[in-house]
Amino acid sequence: MGRRILVAEDEALAAMAIEDELLREGYEVQLAPDGEAALEAAREAMPDLLLTDLRMPRLDGVGLIRALREMAPGLPVVVMTGYAPAGGAAAFRRDGEGPVALFPKPLDMDAVLAELRRLLDG
Amino acid sequence: MPFSTALPLPAAAAPAMCLLPDPAAIWLHVLSDGAIGLAYLSIPAALLVVLLRRRDLAFPWLLGLFALFILACGSTHLVHAYAAFRPMPWGEALVKAVTAAISVVVAVTLWPVLPRILALRSPAALAREVEERRNAEVRARASEARLAAFINNLAEAVFVLRIGADGSFQIESVNPAFERMLGLDAASVVDRRPEEVLPSALVAQALPRWRQAAAQGRTLDYEIGVELPAGRRSWQTVLVPMRGPDGRVERLLGSARDITATRRLQAGLVQSARLATVGTMCAGLAHEASQPLNTATLWLRRARASAEPLAAAQRTVLLRAVAVVEDQLRRAGDLVARIRGLAGDEPDGGEAFDAAVAVGAALRIAGTQYAADGIDFALHADEQPLGVRGSAGRLEQAVLQLLANARDAVVERRLAEPDAPARIDVFLRREAGRVVVEVRDSGQGIAEAARDAIFDPFFTTKPPGRGVGLGLPFAAGVARGMGGGLEAWNLATGGACFRMELAVCEAAGPAGRLAASPVAA
Repeated sequence: MGRRILVAEDEALAAMAIEDELLREGYEVQLAPDGEAALEAAREAMPDLLLTDLRMPRLDGVGLIRALREMAPGLPVVVMTGYAPAGGAAAFRRDGEGPVALFPKPLDMDAVLAELRRLLDG
Repeated sequence: MPFSTALPLPAAAAPAMCLLPDPAAIWLHVLSDGAIGLAYLSIPAALLVVLLRRRDLAFPWLLGLFALFILACGSTHLVHAYAAFRPMPWGEALVKAVTAAISVVVAVTLWPVLPRILALRSPAALAREVEERRNAEVRARASEARLAAFINNLAEAVFVLRIGADGSFQIESVNPAFERMLGLDAASVVDRRPEEVLPSALVAQALPRWRQAAAQGRTLDYEIGVELPAGRRSWQTVLVPMRGPDGRVERLLGSARDITATRRLQAGLVQSARLATVGTMCAGLAHEASQPLNTATLWLRRARASAEPLAAAQRTVLLRAVAVVEDQLRRAGDLVARIRGLAGDEPDGGEAFDAAVAVGAALRIAGTQYAADGIDFALHADEQPLGVRGSAGRLEQAVLQLLANARDAVVERRLAEPDAPARIDVFLRREAGRVVVEVRDSGQGIAEAARDAIFDPFFTTKPPGRGVGLGLPFAAGVARGMGGGLEAWNLATGGACFRMELAVCEAAGPAGRLAASPVAA
C-alpha cells in the first residue's frame, strides 16, 4: 500500500500539478486548501508525511506543523515556500523531533520527489 | 682774663653787632652763622647727588629749586658771619635780596604744585599696589595653567595656524589630542608648513577652508573625510580667525572633533532604513512572484510529460518550447532566490566561526575564477582568530561579491588605461572591538553620482547583461545580519575601498593561521 501524503497548498493549480506528480510516483495523496482543512484531514487519518506551504489562509504552515507534531511528534515534514523563514529548516526543529526539509518556490520538483523518497522509503 | 682780650673782637663797625656789646654773644653769632652756612651748602650738594642718581623723581626741578633756595639762605648766613669781621652793608644786602627773590619764587611756585605733590602715591600705597599686582599675576598664572591643562586634556584636536604675509600657513602649536589623532609628534609639525608635515589628502581638503576663513575673517565650520594609514577618518572642525592689533587676521584657531564613529553610525542607519523599506518590498515581491512561477513550473512538467505520446516532429517542437519556457522560469526563479537572500537576518545568531577562513576561501575562489585577468590578489591579515557569528557560507558569498565588484572595476579601468595597476588587496583585522574586512582595488573608483545608490538593490553601473545590481546589496545585508555594516569610499591613490565591519564573537573555533601572502596572480 502506498504511503499517504497530506498536501496543504492554497494555490489550486499548483496543488493539482503536485498531486499529479505524487500520484505518478505511487503515493496516496490528500489535498487541503489551507491549514485548517489539513488539520481536520489529519485528525481523521494521520498521514505518513506532510507537504505544506507556509502562507495559507485560516491556519498557516507553522501553526499546522506545530499542531500535527503534537499529535505525531515524529511526523516528517516537507515545507515549500516562497518566503523562507528566518533560520531555515532549523526554525521548525523545536516543534518536534521529526525531520524537516525546506524547498523554496519555484519548486525543483525532482529534488522534492527525491527528498520524499528518502524520507518515506529510506 | 677778660673775654674781649682772649678773642679778637670783630669790628665794632659791624652794624648788626653794634647792638651786642658782649663779645661772647657776637662770637656765638659768628660761629652759628658759619655752621648754618656750611650746613646749608652741604644740603644742596646732597640734593644734587639725589637728583643725579635718581632720574625717576617726580618734580626734579622742584628739588633743584629747593637746593637753590637753601644755597641762597646759606650764603646769607656766611656773608653775615664774614661781615662781623669786615662790614659790607651792600654786599650783605645784595645777597639777602637775591635770597629773598629765590625764596619768593620757591614759595609762589610751591603752592600750585602742592595738589600734584599730594596726589603722588605714598610708598605704603605703592607697596600695596605692588602686592596686589603680584597676587593678580599669581592668579593669572594659575588660570593660564588651568587653561593649558584643559587644552592638553581636551578630546578635541586643537591647532593654531600662523598666517604669513604671503597668505601661507605655518603651524604654531598643537595639543596632544591633535598628535594622537594624526599620529604625529608636536615637535615635528610646529613651525612647519602644513603641506610639508600633514597628510596630503587632509591638506588638500582643509587648505581651501583655511584660506576662506583667513580671507573672510569669519568663523568657519567644516567637515572632511580623510583616508589615513590607520583607516578612514571624518572630522568636524571649527576655525576661528584671530586678529592682530591692526585688525588683520593673523592666526586661525582650529578645533577638530573625530566624528568617524558618528558618521559611520549615521550612514549605517540611513542604509538600514533604506534597505528595510526596499527589503520589505523585495521579500513581498519574491513571495508573490514565487507563487505563479511555481505553478507555471509545475504545469510545464505536466506539459512535458504529456508530450510523450506525440509524433516525433510535434514532440520535438513542443519539448523545445518547454525547454525555452523552463529556462526563462529558472532565470526568474534564480532572481527571486537572490532577492530572498537580501534579507540577511540571522535571528538564531548562526554559528560562530573564524572570518579569516571564510575570507580566505572567497579569495581562493576569486583567484582561480579571475586568474586570466592578471590581477594581483593579496591578503593582509592579523594572525589572531577573528571570531564572528553568522553563516560562514553567506560571508564567503558576500566577500566574493566584493571581490567580483573590485575585479570589474580594475578590468574597466584597464580598458581605458592599459598600463593602470591591477591590484586587489584584502585586509583583515580587528579594530576597536570589530572585525574589519577591507577590499581595496586599483580600479576606476566609485563615480560621485553613484555613491549614494551603490547599495540599493537593482542599481548597477555595469552594461546590460553584466549583473543585475544585487551583489553589493547582498554583501551589505550579510554584514548587517552579522551585527555590522558595509561602507565604501574612493582612495586617494585611485580605486575604491569597501569596508565590511562585523560584530566580534569571542567563542569562535580554531583559526587557520593567515598572513600576508599572494593568493593568486
